[in-house]
Amino acid sequence: MPVTRRDLLAQLGVTAAATLGASAAGIGVAGIARAQEKPKGTIPDKPFRIGHMTFFTGPGAVLGEPMYKGNLLAAEEINAQGGLLGKRKIEVLKADEAAGTDANVKEMRRLKLSEKIDMFMGITSSGNTPALGPAAEELKLLTIFVDGCTDFLFDKAVPNPRYVFRITNIQSADGSTCALAVAMTWPDVKKVAHIHPDYAYGRNCYDHFSIVSKKLMPKAQNVSEAWPKLFSTDFTPHITKTLAAKPDLLCTSVWGGDYISFYKQALQHGLFSKMRVATTLALGTAPQAIGKDHPEGVLAGVHANYHFSYPPGNRWPLNKSFVEKYHAKFNEYPNFQAEGAYTATHVLKTAVEKANKLAGGWPDDDAIISQIEGMMLAGPGGYVYIRPDNHQGYKDAITGFSKNVPEYPFPILDPDRIITIPIRNITAPPGWPKGEPTSTYTWIDQTWPTVKQA
Amino acid sequence: MDILVIHLFNALLYASVLFLIAGGLSLIYGVMRIVNLAHGTLYAFGAYVTAWVVGQWLAGAHPIFLYLLLPSGALAAALLGAILEPTLLRPFYRRAEEYQLLVTFGLLMILEDVMRFLWGPYPLSASALFEMMGSLAIGGSVYPRYNLLVVAIGGLAALFLWMFVYKTRFGVVLRATSQDMRRASAMGVNVNRVYVQAFTIGCFMAGLGGAIVVPGQSAVLGMGVDALVLAFVVVVIGGLGSLEGALFGALIVGVVREIGVSVFPEVELAVLYLIAVIVLLVRPAGLFGRTA
Repeated sequence: MPVTRRDLLAQLGVTAAATLGASAAGIGVAGIARAQEKPKGTIPDKPFRIGHMTFFTGPGAVLGEPMYKGNLLAAEEINAQGGLLGKRKIEVLKADEAAGTDANVKEMRRLKLSEKIDMFMGITSSGNTPALGPAAEELKLLTIFVDGCTDFLFDKAVPNPRYVFRITNIQSADGSTCALAVAMTWPDVKKVAHIHPDYAYGRNCYDHFSIVSKKLMPKAQNVSEAWPKLFSTDFTPHITKTLAAKPDLLCTSVWGGDYISFYKQALQHGLFSKMRVATTLALGTAPQAIGKDHPEGVLAGVHANYHFSYPPGNRWPLNKSFVEKYHAKFNEYPNFQAEGAYTATHVLKTAVEKANKLAGGWPDDDAIISQIEGMMLAGPGGYVYIRPDNHQGYKDAITGFSKNVPEYPFPILDPDRIITIPIRNITAPPGWPKGEPTSTYTWIDQTWPTVKQA
Repeated sequence: MDILVIHLFNALLYASVLFLIAGGLSLIYGVMRIVNLAHGTLYAFGAYVTAWVVGQWLAGAHPIFLYLLLPSGALAAALLGAILEPTLLRPFYRRAEEYQLLVTFGLLMILEDVMRFLWGPYPLSASALFEMMGSLAIGGSVYPRYNLLVVAIGGLAALFLWMFVYKTRFGVVLRATSQDMRRASAMGVNVNRVYVQAFTIGCFMAGLGGAIVVPGQSAVLGMGVDALVLAFVVVVIGGLGSLEGALFGALIVGVVREIGVSVFPEVELAVLYLIAVIVLLVRPAGLFGRTA
């Protein structure tokens, strides 16, 4: 019996309109806004030092700065209550990820051995987590990566993590989410053009968009590919090439300053009026950096992860208070990196408190790790589940359509057309063998049916 | 057909900006024998200053006035150059080349950080200038008019520079200093003054490149290093120290990149470097370079 696209989308739980995503009924969910209980045993008042490495210089700083700010905001909140377990104030030490992968590994060692950090946090680039992950394991350094979202980290580089966790962002989810949203919204798409930055993220988006669209839109064909260099700002030839191929849809994973240049140039070339556009990270990097001239109705990805405007209003109070505090402190709106680092810091706090409740005193790393494994925590963006087997944080995927509203001087996700997907339906489950290019890719390829397309 | 015309415009657009950057780099090297690694950063500085100045005056200003603000980045870069040469570079002329490389590389990093400090990590744009001119219909396609303005400015800059170097008295002095600094000095040329002037002009060109690029693109951290690398590809092809070389090198890179993106999307960047490699193998001094 052939499956229709509608059936498969329903099976995958791809939902449009403003819903709250997967329910967490029956699971003990920790909330970040809980009042602190009195800790058991004697707690030292030595500061808890977090080494935070992210991009503070170079073009990556557009993601790095918000990440650091999210960490800082959470640390201040915790310190205002006396620190971790009411005693240990959090100190955040900065390190610049722009130094290069080898230098970053050395810096991580130095932070652990000389600065005696208790924990390592941060990282933006997918090029760095596969090198830093094994180093952290070797140093026995408790680590929560915020981003550096390559599937490769837990597929290959650290297949059996002990000290290393990653809070959010699974790269493959970006391409899959984008393709599912396209299949749901524009099922008649036949000719697809691609523009992706020429590095791991762009390749990964291309792969996962392609495999999902093969399943849900088997008649869609690739008619053009362009691979601009990461951090380039001139897309004129790529746009010309795309226009010449006359596609129905452009899929692009260009992000950050690159995306801003891209959409402004594409506007003047009339690209948006000639095809639909689906993106993986358009509104994700810096929400306030996109202008109101950005066309509405573009599938505007947010790293399949978080946009401060969702859940809206007071529907999810943790988001409301996070956005308000962040905006009051930094005079900008948080992106997914800020939310990730903020949540990561609260994961630490929650794990420390739970471990203390069990054994008393300051818990050792093993005790903290045992509490992070399998933790379900409500953060600003929704529930995050830290899978015990691969130490990856799982949060439902979200994407939507750009829309201008009077409340903000920049476009946000159209509140009436949010698309959410339970993350378990688009990522390889526990027990699935490691695969190439990613486990999720082989899982989709081998287990999803191909729909019958008219 | 219209697509072909657009491809040609794209190639010229890229070449114009590259010429401004690489031309300045080549001019400075030709006269002063300094490889200025911070040259791309001055291009970025020009872009940031123009974006910032235009942003300051954007509200309620007359469009013509905004276009007149465009060269502000070039002037700022020239001013910066006029300060940097006598203070930072002059003490190093007598030392080995490694010192000059280290100093200009240090300058690159300092300027990058200064820009981040002044303008923050987020992209800065002056896209109003790009959008106000609208688009031109070419067959069934449209093309941004602003891009044609960039091509025109790049062409005019090349023309003026050529006239300046080959048709003016100052140009004679400049070329004389470039050919033999000691003898020019013995003939009464104030070499220090020529140096600061040449460096300022080179920086002006880089700044102008940044200034005209920023409306259509945006000012982002790291843009300077990218520009520097491309400028090196251009001068390797054309020959370091030669203005004609910079012009032809920029045109070759512009055309090859346009073809590369369309035909070999997977190796867009590699194609450029491949050409540089071939030129280095066949004519190590570049197409227009003087062999020592």
